[in-house]
Amino acid sequence: MAEVQQKPSAPGPQAGGGAAHARHATPSVPRRLLERGLSLREGSIIVVTIIVAIYFSANTSTFFTGENFKTLLPYFAPLALLGAGEVFVMILGEIDLSIGGMYMFAPIVFYKLDNAGLGLVASAIIALLICMVVGAANGAFVAFAGVSSFVATLGMLFTFEGLSLLLAHGTPVATPGAQVTQTEVKVHHVVNGHSILLGEKVNHIGTFAKIFGGGVYSELIWAVVIVVVLQAVLTFTRWGLYTVAIGSNKLGAAEAGVKVKLVTIRNFVLCASLGGLVGLLEAVRSQTIQPDPSGPNELLLIAIAGAVIGGTLLTGGSGTVIGAFIGALFLGILKDGLILQGVNANYLLFYTGLAIVIAMTANVYVGRVRRGHTGSG
Amino acid sequence: MADRVIEHDVVGPASAPDDVLRVEHIAKGFGPVTALRDLNLHLKKGEVLGLLGDNGAGKSTLIKIISGFQKQDSGKMWLHGEPYQPKSVDDARAKGIDTVYQDLALIDELSVYHNLYLRRERLLRPLPLLDNRRMKREARTALDEIGINIPRIDVSVARLSGGQRQAIAVARTVNSEADIILLDEPLAAMGAKEGAQILDLVARLKAEGRVSIIMILHNYVHVLEACDRVSMIQDGVIALDKPTAETSVEELTDIVVNEYRRAREETQKETAPTA
Repeated sequence: MAEVQQKPSAPGPQAGGGAAHARHATPSVPRRLLERGLSLREGSIIVVTIIVAIYFSANTSTFFTGENFKTLLPYFAPLALLGAGEVFVMILGEIDLSIGGMYMFAPIVFYKLDNAGLGLVASAIIALLICMVVGAANGAFVAFAGVSSFVATLGMLFTFEGLSLLLAHGTPVATPGAQVTQTEVKVHHVVNGHSILLGEKVNHIGTFAKIFGGGVYSELIWAVVIVVVLQAVLTFTRWGLYTVAIGSNKLGAAEAGVKVKLVTIRNFVLCASLGGLVGLLEAVRSQTIQPDPSGPNELLLIAIAGAVIGGTLLTGGSGTVIGAFIGALFLGILKDGLILQGVNANYLLFYTGLAIVIAMTANVYVGRVRRGHTGSG
Repeated sequence: MADRVIEHDVVGPASAPDDVLRVEHIAKGFGPVTALRDLNLHLKKGEVLGLLGDNGAGKSTLIKIISGFQKQDSGKMWLHGEPYQPKSVDDARAKGIDTVYQDLALIDELSVYHNLYLRRERLLRPLPLLDNRRMKREARTALDEIGINIPRIDVSVARLSGGQRQAIAVARTVNSEADIILLDEPLAAMGAKEGAQILDLVARLKAEGRVSIIMILHNYVHVLEACDRVSMIQDGVIALDKPTAETSVEELTDIVVNEYRRAREETQKETAPTA
């Protein structure tokens, strides 16, 4: 809804808006600029992200390098993907904690099915289908049984993390299809005018692994493509329109004929399947499947934090996928930059916490500006 | 105890060949509460029917049953002479019955034009994408046509006044090509000027003669001014059904006052000590 929502909140000399706004007391120019910037739903976090990036570029010699960009990717691409799904659920006014369970469960199902001889692609697809079924169950609990989404998905989180531990017998395994093979190739070198052949070792990973998280830019490409597609869905399709409608006025949407239950279930399916997808991507990237719930538990909360920092309200009716992407980028840069600066790892969580509190406060202020300077929003 | 006569003065199932909608013996309860007991109602083509009644008399329940949002416990409905039992709001709408609800089915976070076209979105066929430009253009035309003045249609409806919001809710229904429109307190939350605009709108629709309208109202003057006929619901049944030309503010007031008196006497009887 970015396009629709931003226009009314941009005051000043835009086409058609001038006359209507001239009647209001004209605020000072800096204040107007500030308000316009903040009125963009993602405006404040874009500015803060750029400031943080500039700060780390100036203070460390290694931040603004191609190599560091590569190390930054796994910090934020999974968060952006998880956040994208979470936004669809949060705009409804719900929350999905089960993505941690899906993140852990999908790779183990994938491993078991591949071991049973189903093949990599088929195993991955079936693992994701199972996540979709779990998502549908989440949605049904919320839409039909009226269970609070926090409780329903918390139950699913523990259930599927527990199931993962049982299936994996608590031991890490190598991710199928992600093995790195080394081959030696002879390379021509010219030394002092003489052409000689020297052996060099080259690492190879399979095509499956390259696509599903193993390639350097694989996760980034997944994240960018999915974020762009889902933002388009949110802004330009009826699915997105109904998602906002339900989050803003559930009863009203139902009275208008919006199929509230169907949209709710669909959004939970989307969110859970992204949880499973990120689990698979990360398992392939790290080449191991870790049956340990602490990682997923932290990741799911940081993904939600990224969505919140990116301007999505927990109360529903408002949020963007792009915002969650930028929120994830901000958290990634913060973590990466602080590590490069040699900051004690214990400070990471502290700074992340502060960032969330500040971003939430900013969101409330931005909401007031958007509702027309009344301060009652 | 002459006042008790009112309770038995129930209007029976009247029918006429030009009825577009007939409601017969409708009953509906919510747990221990009986909202509608044995309700009969009919609506002629092009007619504006005013529905009156105390809070909790069952007006809104009746509207919700006709519009497919709730299902009656017993009783039948007829639309253009055919049996009518909507399965959903969408179903009722497909059959030409559309509603403006009391609790305003507007979505605060959506723009004026998205609200106007909610569930009837214009798409960029064959793509499943919203044709926002077309919806904006058509919304502007539709609002101009029925004489509703909204300065900007791309702002979210949260930024509009109560009257403007109500006008948009009414416009949405009128714009939906329904032939029966149900208005649940269309003048609530409105200033005199905005209320007059809505009544003008109803008068224009009546003059066109295309749609038939049932309106829940509270103000008797509005009913006599805007409606052809008035039905009063009391205690889940129709207690009065008359052309507005044959009744007056005094008669309508008397009925309500008597109902209050009767209810109070009953309460006193119940609470009186029985030695």
